Amino acid sequence: MRDRGGHGAARRDAFLLAICAGLALIALAMPRVWSASLVASVRRSVLRPLVAIQGRAEQDRTARFSLAAIQFSRDSLAQIVLAGDAVRQENENLRELVGLRARVTRPYVAAEVLHRPTPTDARMLLLGDGQARGIEAFDPVVTAEGLVGYVWNAGPHSAAALTWQHPEFRASAVTGDGRVLGMISPLTSGENGQVVLQLRGVALRDSLALGTLVYTAGLGGVYPRGIPIGSVESMELDVLGFERVYRVLPLVNPGMVTHVIVITTPRDSVFLPLPGASARR
Amino acid sequence: MSHVWTGEGPRGRRRSDRLQVGLVILILLAIEFYLRPSLIEGPGMPDFLLLTLVLLAIRTGPGKAAVIGLVLGLVMDVLTPARFGANMLAHVLVGWSAAAGRAVFFPDNLLVNAGLFFLATWVRNLLVLVLAGTSWAALGAEALMWAPLQGLTTAMVGVVIVLLFRDWLAIRIER
Repeated sequence: MRDRGGHGAARRDAFLLAICAGLALIALAMPRVWSASLVASVRRSVLRPLVAIQGRAEQDRTARFSLAAIQFSRDSLAQIVLAGDAVRQENENLRELVGLRARVTRPYVAAEVLHRPTPTDARMLLLGDGQARGIEAFDPVVTAEGLVGYVWNAGPHSAAALTWQHPEFRASAVTGDGRVLGMISPLTSGENGQVVLQLRGVALRDSLALGTLVYTAGLGGVYPRGIPIGSVESMELDVLGFERVYRVLPLVNPGMVTHVIVITTPRDSVFLPLPGASARR
Repeated sequence: MSHVWTGEGPRGRRRSDRLQVGLVILILLAIEFYLRPSLIEGPGMPDFLLLTLVLLAIRTGPGKAAVIGLVLGLVMDVLTPARFGANMLAHVLVGWSAAAGRAVFFPDNLLVNAGLFFLATWVRNLLVLVLAGTSWAALGAEALMWAPLQGLTTAMVGVVIVLLFRDWLAIRIER
């Protein structure tokens, strides 16, 4: 009788394992659109309290450990703003004289990043704000240093951001002087498995000096022009010899970011001057 | 003395056991979602959800452990959807293996428990990365650096949890 009970329990365990593994495999094979809507609906319903609690924890940590740094940067920014007031006024006067429209401003939402202790955390970040504050899918996500990625999907009170470390990340890029265009994608460097970026699609006639800064080109309708991405670290050899491939060291590490800025404006009509362009002139 | 009737039947005792285990899970969830993020952040942090899975797995059968793994994996996949389903499958396999492994090892030794927490974290991290389509170079870095680090911190925290709540979790530790 005991043996039979043992067999029964083993059979039930095997059955449960098969069911659970089958469900997980179905989830793995699910199309991105379906999984995105499923993720969003679970996050805004069942898991909403957990996301809210973690958001509160992030705020507490910022208040506890980063207050001095925030006050310092606020004071520094206040000084910069005061110094820049005269220049801004002068710029507005000049625009009026030339008959240019007022400069386009980009509305944004500052959001906290709710990190998870999983190995894929840096590829997809959970943000503590969502549609209630104007965040929508495909909004660019940046920090003061540069590009992080874009909003993959947004719920009412949280959003998931796909970062440049995700294998599916792509962005059109341009150098500071606007001379060289290419496509940025993630690259796993061979040395220590560190993920960096690669700039592909550069014509063989174009060469870039090491340390050249690369910005978003504004093509493709997701990222506005002029967001810093990284600096050229080295040149890689294209296997087929059709193009130059540059390894780009990103300016932002998504795994260490605590706060981000989500740009919430319509994107493909916004063109900002590249920082290198004025220097060139 | 064990035959003295205490006024609490097996059903009542089972209910109080469940309450105690539920309380431990609540404490671990509170640490995972409030205490840890409000104190420290960064790579290599202990994973309290995985700890919950392993602690429950060594108390239950492999089938139930697989179901718990599926639920916790779903939570992780929803919160970091780098590759939906990767965490679910990884946690199902880890949960099932931890529960099935009871036949092989005896979880009444503190070092064995620590080793189990370490191994579960290491295997889970690698499984998630493999299922998420990570390159071999990145996998090597994770296998040699970040996964062992997280395994170590999770094992250390797990040992403290086992020592604190061994009676509630019905884990017998050999002295």
